[in-house]
Amino acid sequence: MAATAKTVETVRDVEAYKYGFVTDIESDLAPKGLSEEIVRFISAKKNEPKWMLEWRLKAYRYWLTLADEEPTWAKLHFPKIDYQDSYYYAAPKQKVGPKSLDEVDPQLLETYKKLGIPLLEQQILSGVAVDAVFDSVSVATTYKKKLNELGVIFCPISEAVQKHPELVQKYLCSVVPVGDNFYVALNSAVFTDGSFVYIPKGLRCPMELSTYFRINEKNTGQFERTLIIADEGSYVSYLEGCTAPQRDENQLHAAVVELIALDNAEIKYSTVQNWYPGDKDGKGGIYNFVTKRGACRGKNSKIMWTQVETGSAITWKYPSCILQGDGSVGEFYSVAITNNHQQADTGTKMIHIGKNTRSKIISKGISAGKSSNTYRGLVRIQGKADGARNYTKCDSLLIGSTCGAHTVPYIENRSPTAQTEHEATTSKIGEDQLFYCMQRGMTQEEAVSLIVNGFCKEVLQTLPMEFAVEAQKLVGVSLEGGVG
Amino acid sequence: MALIEIKNLHVSVQGKDILKGISLTINAGEVHAIMGPNGTGKSTLSNVIAGREGYEVTQGSVSFDGQDLLAMPPDARARAGVFLAFQYPVEIPGVSTSAFLKTAINAKRRTEGKPEIDAMEFLKLVKAKNKALGIPDDMIKRPLNVGFSGGEKKRAEVLQMTLLEPRFAVLDETDSGLDIDALKIVSDGVNALRGPTRAFLVITHYQRLLNYIVPDYVHVMAGGRIVKSGGKELAYELEAEGYTKYLAAA
Amino acid sequence: MRLTSLLDHPFRDAYAAKFGALPGATQAWIDGLRQTARGILNTSGLPGPRVEAWKFTGLGDVVKIPFLPSSSAEDIDVREIPLGVPHIPGARRIVLVNGVLSAELSDAVNDPPGLRIGTLKHYLAREPQILKPILGGLASSGSYPMAALNTAYMSDGLVILADKNFPGSTLHIISIGAAGADPVAFHPRHIITLAAGAQLNVIETHIGLPGQSYLSNPLTEISVGENATLKRYVMVAEDNDAFHLSTAAVALAAHGTFEAFHLVVGGGKVRQEVAVAMNGAGATCRINGLYALTGKQHHDLTTVIDHAVGHGTSSQLVKGVVDGQSHGVFQGRIHVAKDAQKTDARQLHKALFLSKGPEVDCKPELEIFADDVQCAHGAATGEMDPNHLFYLMARGIDADTARAMLVSGFLEDAIATISDELVRAAFSDLVQSWLKRRAA
Repeated sequence: MAATAKTVETVRDVEAYKYGFVTDIESDLAPKGLSEEIVRFISAKKNEPKWMLEWRLKAYRYWLTLADEEPTWAKLHFPKIDYQDSYYYAAPKQKVGPKSLDEVDPQLLETYKKLGIPLLEQQILSGVAVDAVFDSVSVATTYKKKLNELGVIFCPISEAVQKHPELVQKYLCSVVPVGDNFYVALNSAVFTDGSFVYIPKGLRCPMELSTYFRINEKNTGQFERTLIIADEGSYVSYLEGCTAPQRDENQLHAAVVELIALDNAEIKYSTVQNWYPGDKDGKGGIYNFVTKRGACRGKNSKIMWTQVETGSAITWKYPSCILQGDGSVGEFYSVAITNNHQQADTGTKMIHIGKNTRSKIISKGISAGKSSNTYRGLVRIQGKADGARNYTKCDSLLIGSTCGAHTVPYIENRSPTAQTEHEATTSKIGEDQLFYCMQRGMTQEEAVSLIVNGFCKEVLQTLPMEFAVEAQKLVGVSLEGGVG
Repeated sequence: MALIEIKNLHVSVQGKDILKGISLTINAGEVHAIMGPNGTGKSTLSNVIAGREGYEVTQGSVSFDGQDLLAMPPDARARAGVFLAFQYPVEIPGVSTSAFLKTAINAKRRTEGKPEIDAMEFLKLVKAKNKALGIPDDMIKRPLNVGFSGGEKKRAEVLQMTLLEPRFAVLDETDSGLDIDALKIVSDGVNALRGPTRAFLVITHYQRLLNYIVPDYVHVMAGGRIVKSGGKELAYELEAEGYTKYLAAA
Repeated sequence: MRLTSLLDHPFRDAYAAKFGALPGATQAWIDGLRQTARGILNTSGLPGPRVEAWKFTGLGDVVKIPFLPSSSAEDIDVREIPLGVPHIPGARRIVLVNGVLSAELSDAVNDPPGLRIGTLKHYLAREPQILKPILGGLASSGSYPMAALNTAYMSDGLVILADKNFPGSTLHIISIGAAGADPVAFHPRHIITLAAGAQLNVIETHIGLPGQSYLSNPLTEISVGENATLKRYVMVAEDNDAFHLSTAAVALAAHGTFEAFHLVVGGGKVRQEVAVAMNGAGATCRINGLYALTGKQHHDLTTVIDHAVGHGTSSQLVKGVVDGQSHGVFQGRIHVAKDAQKTDARQLHKALFLSKGPEVDCKPELEIFADDVQCAHGAATGEMDPNHLFYLMARGIDADTARAMLVSGFLEDAIATISDELVRAAFSDLVQSWLKRRAA
């Protein structure tokens, strides 16, 4: 028992948030609050065409009707958000868009350096193109030329609205309708930027596309909007990673991500999320309400979500797949770690519509401190999805007796030839495992980190190499000062 | 006379060629052994003989006692006298071993125009066979193969073979997972069934089993083909030299 | 607008005139319970599709039927126990018609020493103090919508009291549903208490007269004392036009055992909710079940097991076969409270499709607040395993026989969890005759 007691002790004693620093940049702020004026302001600021403004206004008006429809079904507790007490637009000051890194605010570049994302080095060393988003406006885009030559469009969505309106109009909100939920309607009205990706027919995108997000401005709602289209026979791997500065006040983050995979296309979307989780007393921290959904529209298409969720005070996130095309495949791999007063309610939805569609769900939840960690997932097999298959495995690990781990799967099958299989377990780190490692000379923290990494291995190994390393570190860091 | 005749058999699984022209004739009264490294198609051959779905015969034929075996559903093959001792017998909760055995015996008797076995006769029969195989009598009350140890499962397979008295039995890696005592019991069970009207095909990775079930012929399989055939001495040669040279040949 | 509740249900007005005549109306505590229940019904109504626990069982059809209180149907006359009621050797039969005891159809025997069986009406009138700690205490109107409906309109039921160390007895409660010309509803309220060390087996058969439309809404509150063991085996074979919405709330004391089996082979729409509060350390709870559905039948088994304290063990195995356009639902929540260490909770639901057309929905749920626990659930739906079929056919068994054996085996696997031999045999017979009916 001594080992457990000590583990609990160390989990409670969390070290200061590692990435807690604040960049001091003057912001171009819209006044606090949300109104039709603000929506118009954002649209004007972005120089948007009329159709886009109309679209935003429609979303805003719809959002107003949802005033009482803020989702309450998740196992999350937080004070009611005053949507009029937030800023909806903040942009770093710039005269004109930067043509090269030299033109980028050096303070910004310094911030990235602290985060371990030196743009130049990344370009050279890893060949990763970074569309770095600072707050809501893109400030630097690299590797654009090379991608251009291949016919890949990888740009801020605001730019896509200007340059590729036909694609945006065709696909935006085609997976996640404006009225899907409260946060989607809100995002649709006020989103300021995000990424847009189009991979042309038959192209296997040779580099991982990444975007690093960062919340910076005080009290700024962050409403990212991402749209990725993989045309027939193409492949793309997209990485999204977040770290955020320490804050006292809660910050709302309500991103919307839509993926579309056409015939034989494959999209791999990987996230490492480490927003500021609040301090050890549960003060501050990001509220993360994310809607991520992919449509496997074409036959034999595939969408794979991998997420490592270690941050945020509140996580509400269900990256999902709509398996429309015959033979399409959806996969969801998740590690969610909660500590202190963090609350996570995350999982996925796999909607089987086409024949011989397959889905796989692997979820690993680790709860420590006074946190609450919920897996919530839906597997729905529609009547015409002959031969559909689902396999789901959800494992939870509890560290200490003051946290909670919950599993809420919904399985709905209407096809006799479909097979669904679900298993879930909840347990703690075995005393014998800990003892075994420590007998071999590891400290308890090392042992816990090793065991937890092993527990998550099935998920972590699906990440692209450069992300896997970061994710393993994050698992360690989340439990470091925590456990190891 | 030829009991089973396999001619130029080509089989693919999900578009991948596994068997690439197997020819093999087995006469009544003979015991043939097929040896070979893992992944060379040994189990594919046994599954094709028994009629499992998912195997596509792209060329060739298999005849059993003059009948086209490949045209028959698996149950008809079994009733005609083909038996497969499975490498991995499935566990079926809820179906008791005794109900299963009785149904299988009666299915065969019906085909032969015999009356169904009565309950007392059945019990007597099973008890006698159990004794020889070292199977506890209460095993047949348990659900089929559920919770059986590896050795118990293999013994249960031999019990089924003994009860169904097939004319041609395929033993697919029946020795795997058996300790030496169990191996001896299982082999004794098989040997007791040997006779002039019955043939066996013993599939194994190791020569060990063939010390107990002594074959008339040994075939080496590699890369989906039979690459060498010989007498029982071939097994010793393989044990000493390994499969490496045949892999290279394949 | 999506429905959150069904306020316009037929029970609002049809029953208004009856309030004064309901048993216990003159007692303040009962009246208080009823007022609360009616208040909840008036403000929340019956659960609509957005009430989470009722997500898969809609009551849209129930609220459209003008059910009358069964006591106002004059023409109900049941003279004999219907066919299809299983014979349990040695069990004492207690027959209820629409929730009211029928002395005529029940076995005329005296209660053995240590066991008292009476009607709710009797106990409310004569010994209400016995009921006070339990009635409404285990199944509150606020927790279960059907408890609110039951509490508001309950008119009778059974009270079964086993004294300390009562050595055991088997009761077979046969609940017959019948309607006259008009559809009726009845809301029987049963109380079962086992004092410390007592043993009791209760078999419940819910059966209806063919072609009659009624709503049976029984609520059973069960208290199992320290080291006591209650085995409760429920068989639902209602008619296809009948609705059966039952609730059972169980409180288990330290080292107490509650074993339940729910067999469903009939009923148009059936929902059974069983909630077990494992209040004492070292308690054991087993809830197993089996549903076999055809046509347009709907069945929902919802279980909630609350491990309130540590060292408890719970296990659940629920299996279902679905044919026709039927709809099978299993919802099972396992809650492990903070500090309920050394809990062992397991649950498995498996459903087998027999044709194209049915739907199976499953929501197993773990809610864990203690770390030193072993909790697991599993759920699987699909068609027959082709490997199983092949194995049987490879032994010479023809495809139809092999399939029948596998379906039977699938179901018998659940039946095997019944620890009482006589009930196991009787329930197995019921399953086999279901299979024969289907094959015919």
